[in-house]
Amino acid sequence: SLMKTGSKPPTTPVKLKKVSTFQEFESNTSDAWDLGDDDDELLAIAAENLNTEVVMETAHKVIQNHSKLQEQHKLQEEQLQEEKQVESSELSSVAYGDNRLVKSVSEGHTSSSSDNASENSSMQRSQSLPQTSTPPLVSGIADHSTSITSALTEREASRLDKFKQLLAGPNTNLAVLLVRQSNIFFFFNLIVFQGYLPANVDRRESTLQRKRKEYFAFVEQYYDSRNDESHQDTYRQIHIDIPRMSPEVLRLQPKVTEIFERILFIWAIRHPASGYVQGINDLVTPFFVVFICEYMEDDEVENFDVSSLPEEVLQNIEADSYWCMSKLLDGIQDNYTFAQPGIQKKVKMLEELVRRIDEQVHRHLDEHEVKYLQFAFRWMNNLLMREVPLRCTIRLWDTYQ
Amino acid sequence: LYLFQSSDFLFKFLVIGNAGTGKSCLLHQFIEKKFKDDSNHTIGVEFGSKIINVGGKYVKLQIWDTAGQERFRSVTRSYYRGAAGALLVYDITSRETYNALTNWLTDARMLASQNIVIILCGNKKDLDADREVTFLEASRFAQENELMFLETSALTGENVEEAFVQCARKILNKIESGELDPERMGSGIQYGDAALRQLRSPRRAQAESAQECGC
Repeated sequence: SLMKTGSKPPTTPVKLKKVSTFQEFESNTSDAWDLGDDDDELLAIAAENLNTEVVMETAHKVIQNHSKLQEQHKLQEEQLQEEKQVESSELSSVAYGDNRLVKSVSEGHTSSSSDNASENSSMQRSQSLPQTSTPPLVSGIADHSTSITSALTEREASRLDKFKQLLAGPNTNLAVLLVRQSNIFFFFNLIVFQGYLPANVDRRESTLQRKRKEYFAFVEQYYDSRNDESHQDTYRQIHIDIPRMSPEVLRLQPKVTEIFERILFIWAIRHPASGYVQGINDLVTPFFVVFICEYMEDDEVENFDVSSLPEEVLQNIEADSYWCMSKLLDGIQDNYTFAQPGIQKKVKMLEELVRRIDEQVHRHLDEHEVKYLQFAFRWMNNLLMREVPLRCTIRLWDTYQ
Repeated sequence: LYLFQSSDFLFKFLVIGNAGTGKSCLLHQFIEKKFKDDSNHTIGVEFGSKIINVGGKYVKLQIWDTAGQERFRSVTRSYYRGAAGALLVYDITSRETYNALTNWLTDARMLASQNIVIILCGNKKDLDADREVTFLEASRFAQENELMFLETSALTGENVEEAFVQCARKILNKIESGELDPERMGSGIQYGDAALRQLRSPRRAQAESAQECGC
């Protein structure tokens, strides 16, 4: 959305004024991270549409949940003191979108390209993601929040409660709105609400089941054709690329390879206009990791064996990952069609944005004949999956999707 | 090796060829003297540079390692302009990658420069048991198309340095014989900082290099 906003003002150069306009814009938008009490208003609007019974019931749940949490919280507090300091400072540096983001990004960048230890650490960082033992998507949402709450302030926790309240309501559009402002990892839920699952809560579970069935029907219909002459190039390319992905913890597991190959092959076959393009393989990972994290314990992160999960759970994760990835790609298909016009356009927008807000950098690049397409192509093609630690990528997707 | 060595020339090099032929691994082996077995597939372009000594002249190679997948072709083409040399890579265990050479060649000659010096590299020489393209066949193709030719192994390092050095040497020879003019726009050749320094007053050169360090 930053980019969209950036491209709106007229292109006539009014230098000084422009700078101050952007600064104004910047200071205004940072408010989005530091929420006032505006969401109370939203909540009030939402409440009008909510059935009173549902409200009371969920409110009750929320209160119960909250007091339970605070007890847990006190108990854990002493043991976690040290750990928490690290975790919350990490969380805040990414999650609150302030200047510290830059810092953590650059740290991640230097380490991510160097060694395996850093791959692990980026997995580990994604531990601030939810982990519970309930099935994903449906009941998962409430639990996501609970496990995260340990790193939240009281105000944020209450915000979370409000969110849950909205979520349980018959219409989730406002919940989505709140999530957008929330400082919490609701990334995949966001995607989910934007189309994978209906806003209406009554139809959610049945839609989920139907979608999963539909996916495995595709698998049955298409997957055997992967060695046919017409499809073998696609399959071979996918097969070669998966061992070349990160994070290493995942890609080295045959079970994961198998799942990714199926997801990518089915998607490619069903989208012949683009087919499989290198980089799309990276776009499955965030979804898969977020789903898998629900089943991980703290100490398992570095050596979590995906095949230890029940087959049914894995199947659900596979289908859900497929649909979430599909949903994401629906909006950016022109990134991967002939000549990749979507990427060309976005790189142009980036150039325009830099020219406007940091003319010095822009001039420097220009003087050294560095073209934006030379360094920013991959940013767009892989949606930053190669540039920053996975955890940060997920957070960024959450914001800009 | 020549970390603080100033160079006489700067050449822009391309590494092109189908996906999975080992382009990035060749580059990595050339620069780091190591085989990179956890190599990611290249998206767009990646860069490497190294200063080599060719017949007493120091040449800085600025190497553009391009993505091989067909879909990226329209974007990678935009990186060709002004390249002085290229490694055209196929995989000796994959006839498909060999069959694609003509297309790559046409692109390179059309988009980089008529005078671009190209060396054909039959990579994965270590996998001789799986060979699908014979040395003789590729050698004939190279001759017909006025390419230099080597079989290389990014795994063992065999002929990797040679490929880059031979290509650079041929360009130097062409400069010396006057066949190539570094001053011409889009030649892919620039004078290095050592050469430039001789042209300028010592004080100015000092200031210049101090500035470069600051970058």
